[in-house]
Amino acid sequence: MASEKSFIDEIKSSQEKFDNRSATQVRPITQKTVLAQEQDQRGAFRVLARKQAIERYKCSSCHSGAPVTAKKGKELTHGDINLDHGQGGQSLSCIDCHHPKERDFLEDKKGNKIDFDHSYQLCGQCHFRQKRDWIGGAHGKRVSNWAGERVVFNCASCHDPHSPRFKKRFPATYSVPLD
Amino acid sequence: MKPAKPSTNDGCPSNIMKSTSNRRSFIKSLSVAAAAGSAALATGCIPSADAAPSEEMKLRWQEFFKDNYRLMTQEEKDATIDRLERLAKIQDNLDIQMGNNPPLEKVLYGYAFNISRCEGFMECVTACVKENNLDRKTNTQYIRIFEMEPGQLDPGTGDGRYYHKVPVDNRFYMGTQCFHCENAPCTKACPTKATWKEPDGIVVVDYDWCIGCRYCQAACPYYGRRFNWGKPQIPKDEITTRQHYLGNRIRPKGKMEKCTFCIQRTRSGRLPACVEACPTGSRVFGNLLDPESEIRFVLKHKKVFRMKEELGTEPKFWYFID
Repeated sequence: MASEKSFIDEIKSSQEKFDNRSATQVRPITQKTVLAQEQDQRGAFRVLARKQAIERYKCSSCHSGAPVTAKKGKELTHGDINLDHGQGGQSLSCIDCHHPKERDFLEDKKGNKIDFDHSYQLCGQCHFRQKRDWIGGAHGKRVSNWAGERVVFNCASCHDPHSPRFKKRFPATYSVPLD
Repeated sequence: MKPAKPSTNDGCPSNIMKSTSNRRSFIKSLSVAAAAGSAALATGCIPSADAAPSEEMKLRWQEFFKDNYRLMTQEEKDATIDRLERLAKIQDNLDIQMGNNPPLEKVLYGYAFNISRCEGFMECVTACVKENNLDRKTNTQYIRIFEMEPGQLDPGTGDGRYYHKVPVDNRFYMGTQCFHCENAPCTKACPTKATWKEPDGIVVVDYDWCIGCRYCQAACPYYGRRFNWGKPQIPKDEITTRQHYLGNRIRPKGKMEKCTFCIQRTRSGRLPACVEACPTGSRVFGNLLDPESEIRFVLKHKKVFRMKEELGTEPKFWYFID
């Protein structure tokens, strides 16, 4: 066996790229997507848009410099946000990610404005290993199809950016012993 | 069914018995009658399909005499799925859409499971049960998730029956299912050739040729196969009506069934139900032959291992860590 070519070698020597046109029945993705500002091994890929999922976007509709009445302030306060992001007691604060002036954007550590749809660029500053795996396909996942144009989930599609670790909960079902 | 052909010995066993004088010629003519097959039966000894009293009986009769799926022509495959759709309508008043999509060219499916990401929520299991029309009465599941102690890599040492809040600190979770071995021992054990590996690497079962002997279950080193002791019982509004002949169609009683990588989805370019349901992104699925696929990225850049690799079964299911 040792001298023969193994199954793994056969797989790894296969260099013929899959032609997505041969999968003719791929379902179109209905969610809104944007072209990622990164390149994966194929080249361009798409990522789920994020902005329309943020309930109170645009932020500038309140954060405009104009005074907010007390009543309205109570309704629209961000008191529901549980900020649990960062190691131990060194939790991050709002403006570590959010742009301090232009509230419709995020800001990275170099001071670049980052669109909410491309928040992976911000997350990837610290979580660079996860970002590398996400681009390649070992972290996160594709939407619906393995074939066709590659569309992947955005970071914040799965992780709550304010509290990114998944919460403990009961499993969806249980297993009985095999017969 | 083909029209009945007149056979040389007029095809009826009672006539054979009358006309033969010794055992040898008796057996010889019996085998001729057997070779004539349904044609012999159609000549009058047993009611033919056309004489069947109801449409249901006729369809069931034709189903009984169909070929092994691998020997069918495309016309026969189309005919059998038409019959099965019609039977589902007559028997259970179900409107199903059954397919027989062939394998895609230049595709070999592979799967990877991230043991450092899985948190044991088991949403893959519920998605699989729903997608594949699994029996709710006995709680049949193709996927099992084991809660594992650190340092262990054999699911036999893990807890496959946990039900408490997950993830538990200092435990990891490992999923098993059919691994679709390239060198699958189950297919060699089957006495009726009712299970085989398709060209795209999916190990499938022809449920109508399976005799339920369970040799394949004994041959599988991964406990990947499930035997049904009855026709799956599913609430009518939960039945997945988009089905595949080799996949999630509702199996008859007493058949072997297993994960098919959701053949009804994957052959249309979709992800298997477990991958789509996974909330943690622990499951990676793709085309092993495509050097740009996600699964090839995992194999190239991650630390991977397969279960019981020393057996030489070459499973197409890898575990990896971040």
